[in-house]
Amino acid sequence: MNKSITELHELLVNKKITDKELIEESLKKSHEVEEKYNAFVTICDDAKESEITDSLVSGIPFGVKDNYSTKGILSTGSSNTLKNYIPFYTATVVEKLLNAGAVMVNKTALDEFGMGGTGTTPHTGPVLNPWDKTRMCAGSSAGSACAVASGVYPFALGSDTGDSIRKPAAYCGIVGYKPTYGMLSRYGLFPFASSLDHCGVLTRSVLDAAIVTDIMKGQDNHDMTSWDSSHIHLKDALTGNIKGKKLFYIKEICDIKNYKDANSTLKEHFKIFNHSLELLKESGATIQEESIDIDLLKAISSVYVVLSCAEATSNMSNLTGIIFGPRSDAKNVFEMMKEHRTLGFSPLIKRRFIIGSYVLQKENQERYFKNAARVRRIIVDKMKELFKKYDALILPVSSGPAKKFDEDLDILDENTNILEEHLQIGNFGGFPSITIPNGFIDNLPVGINITGNCFDDENVLNIAYTLEKMMPYKGQIAKEK
Amino acid sequence: MKKQIAVIGLEMHCELKSNSKVFSSAKNAYSEIPNSNIAPLDMAFPGTLPVVNKKCVLNALKVSLSLNCSQPDYLMFDRKNYYYPDLPKGYQITQMTKPIGINGCIEIEVNDKLIPVYIHDVHLEEDSASLDHFFDTTNIDYNRSGVPLLELVTEPCLHSKEEAQAFLEHIIRIYRYLDVSDADTKKGQIRCDVNVSIMDEDSRELGTKVEVKNVNSLSGVAKTIDYEIRRQTTLKEEGRYDEIKQETRRWDEESETTIHMRNKVDEVDYKYFIEPNIPRYPLKEEWIEEIKKSIPRLHLERKKDYIKNIGLSNYDAEILVKDKSVSDYFEECLKLDIDAKTSANWIITQILGYLNKYNLSITDFYFTPKRLKDLISELEKNTISSKQAKEIFKEVIEQEKEVKDFIKKNTQLSNEDELNNIIEEILANNVEQIEEYKKGRTNLFDYFVGQVMKNTKGKANPVLTKKILNEKLKG
Amino acid sequence: MSKFTKEMVDSYADKLLIGLTEEENKMVLEEFDTIDKTISIIENISGISELEPMMYCLDDIATNLREDVSLPSIPVTDALRNAGKTDGREIEVPKVVE
Repeated sequence: MNKSITELHELLVNKKITDKELIEESLKKSHEVEEKYNAFVTICDDAKESEITDSLVSGIPFGVKDNYSTKGILSTGSSNTLKNYIPFYTATVVEKLLNAGAVMVNKTALDEFGMGGTGTTPHTGPVLNPWDKTRMCAGSSAGSACAVASGVYPFALGSDTGDSIRKPAAYCGIVGYKPTYGMLSRYGLFPFASSLDHCGVLTRSVLDAAIVTDIMKGQDNHDMTSWDSSHIHLKDALTGNIKGKKLFYIKEICDIKNYKDANSTLKEHFKIFNHSLELLKESGATIQEESIDIDLLKAISSVYVVLSCAEATSNMSNLTGIIFGPRSDAKNVFEMMKEHRTLGFSPLIKRRFIIGSYVLQKENQERYFKNAARVRRIIVDKMKELFKKYDALILPVSSGPAKKFDEDLDILDENTNILEEHLQIGNFGGFPSITIPNGFIDNLPVGINITGNCFDDENVLNIAYTLEKMMPYKGQIAKEK
Repeated sequence: MKKQIAVIGLEMHCELKSNSKVFSSAKNAYSEIPNSNIAPLDMAFPGTLPVVNKKCVLNALKVSLSLNCSQPDYLMFDRKNYYYPDLPKGYQITQMTKPIGINGCIEIEVNDKLIPVYIHDVHLEEDSASLDHFFDTTNIDYNRSGVPLLELVTEPCLHSKEEAQAFLEHIIRIYRYLDVSDADTKKGQIRCDVNVSIMDEDSRELGTKVEVKNVNSLSGVAKTIDYEIRRQTTLKEEGRYDEIKQETRRWDEESETTIHMRNKVDEVDYKYFIEPNIPRYPLKEEWIEEIKKSIPRLHLERKKDYIKNIGLSNYDAEILVKDKSVSDYFEECLKLDIDAKTSANWIITQILGYLNKYNLSITDFYFTPKRLKDLISELEKNTISSKQAKEIFKEVIEQEKEVKDFIKKNTQLSNEDELNNIIEEILANNVEQIEEYKKGRTNLFDYFVGQVMKNTKGKANPVLTKKILNEKLKG
Repeated sequence: MSKFTKEMVDSYADKLLIGLTEEENKMVLEEFDTIDKTISIIENISGISELEPMMYCLDDIATNLREDVSLPSIPVTDALRNAGKTDGREIEVPKVVE
């Protein structure tokens, strides 16, 4: 189970293992990982093997973040408001994988409805980091990252509204990829902030990410924001040749001199990052430094909070306990709805709803919501301008490895630094963005991120693929410290 | 107190016709069976997304163009956020930022006078679920959830219940002419909000606006306006005008009064924002032009044309344009070169009468304009009498035959010589009766006519027969 | 002194049909102050007033409108399966009074 999709496919085709054994092993591993790290909401013990076909994913077990609608299988969004919800339809991207013969073996835990970056707020409790149980996986795709890193299966679906695939991937030492907005249909993904939400995948190699995304992508007549990507072939684009490609990093983020009290971890993190840049140069890429107005960068997290909370408060207005979800006994219908929401939502997301509602109010909308959306445009326009000159942006993920549970309380704090939040740029512009592991600090993995222009997924993946080949972290499985 | 004038604005919601709902593929149709026309989106199951129905956009554009509105470059939608048990998503998808039509103006006819009505905007949105109330519970039926609604908002430019009613009737007729809605108030397809204020006749300052919600019939709109004008005027007369608050009231059908719901300050903040799940869709010039071309002439234009250029009376013209299919039938007759007034007469007296009697529609009526032409030309040739024509009209329909099938049988004997011979022969056989007649039993005249008819199996031209008989019996 | 009060926060929450504990209310207040500070960063970015707010992730995506074809209804059993209370083919709630 520590193998890649292509390796497993080979074994299945050559009957070195049977499809049944593979699923059984994955289920067994699921229970172990659940026991140790609390990664799942549901383990599909009755999962059945499927026929092995030409499709590389046929017979391969996989995990699905629990904010995807899966027919007949509990889908909670890791929230008490949907703790007993069993959908009657399956999300488009999941359906496509099932149709290709992949076997869903579990539903993974997340920060409630994806609203959180720690993996500590699922209604089933925090997900622990498989490299160090005293640390978090980051979120919101915590369960998926944990399971892939632990070798439960080669891939799991995640979703990414701020950095919810790409940060947990870094903290767990794996690959996390969020394609261009609309390449994957969002039909069946429980919405957090519709204009920022992306589907995506967590794997242990860039090739696996490409294989899975090739299957999932495509225009869906259930999602008007999806587009025709039939001309894009991610797997075929992985040539390992990036000669002449031009990359840039942002000076204000990457210059260690900007961090007055930089600790040894941060210094090490940048050292690892710079080493990766050297490797890319060796492959024939050029790398330049670009400067971006520091005020814009500082505004990222505020813009994100304002926009994502506003959309979230509206998107989750359907959670009233009338059609689905546990119902209260209140005799007044509005009290009934209120009780459902008061008891069902965790304190964190209640606070976010209130922020979201506040910034949307008539008298505040201009100052908060619309101004945030204007700054979003400035940031995106700036990036698009740079993407005219460059093939991709490359940056370190976070300020170092996974944090201890008591370090980050996931409350907006004015000191939250740009380094922690810059991946949100990828959501602002819908840019294809991938995180891959690029080293260790104190035996804990750290990651590097490559982000490109919209629709340029092939290029972004090929750069990541090339860098991955030059480092020894591909396919790595978490080992507890 | 100075004379008061009323200032009225209307918001009219109308369900649109289409096969499927506006954002989901569930059937757009009324059903007695609860929850029998539903898609996952209509109940806001998590993860569902709206997908805009092209037909609904087309219908809304037809209305927008017909009201002389300007259309936006892009189609886009907004969310109107509020909590209510009939609103499963917790927001309604509507159009606020870029309505499908703004700044329109149309002419309507009120008591034979034309007045302009200004349209603030017209926008496409979705209906809510319906609630059935019981003793201490309410049941929710989602069949109506997501049914396309078109909301039309006028400027406050109407001044009486007559104007308001005429406007609504005018709009209903436009919707039917455009075939975008049945606009049937009895089926609850139309719901209105009415804004009323009063002001001094010579003033330019608008009075305090009172909004009355959910008025579901045209007579209700008239009564609401009446009631509000009376209520507000009385308060003003009594020097208590400051008691009129900017407020929302509702029309209570039973007491025929309006009842306070909430003050302006307590108004819900709908926190509108652009629906991110529906990308901007360019409304291309070519599409708009194509739609423009497909829009038929509307009733008022037709009516003016019938009066001015064809010379019909206001009354007849009004009857003809009431229903587009009748007017189309009439225009088809004109195309076939049937005399305008004759076809108008036939349609109004015979055809509409027949259709009404048997509850038929003119669109698939057997007696087509072509058949009407056949019939009228026989009349003009004098081969049949108008009484016969009416009978043939019925026979043709009932036996599903052609006019000519009945003309043969009914060919009148109008040849004077032939008729003369027949009459001579009859008179020769009825010498006694002639004597009696001449003595003064003039009612025997009908006996002779009867004999002629009997002899000719009814085909003798009655006018001619009478003429010949008169001549012969005189001598 | 914060321009936000406990009462304001409770009223916002109430409009969202959400109840807050004292502690939750306090946290919202603290967070509001932070947000208000950060929003001034946004406001001070030059030239934003003329810009159109970015409300879509991709501005000009080639999307299609749906052809007007109706599909069969979802089965009523599916529609009602997750509801706390039903009555025949409908969902039942305590009486809705305006």
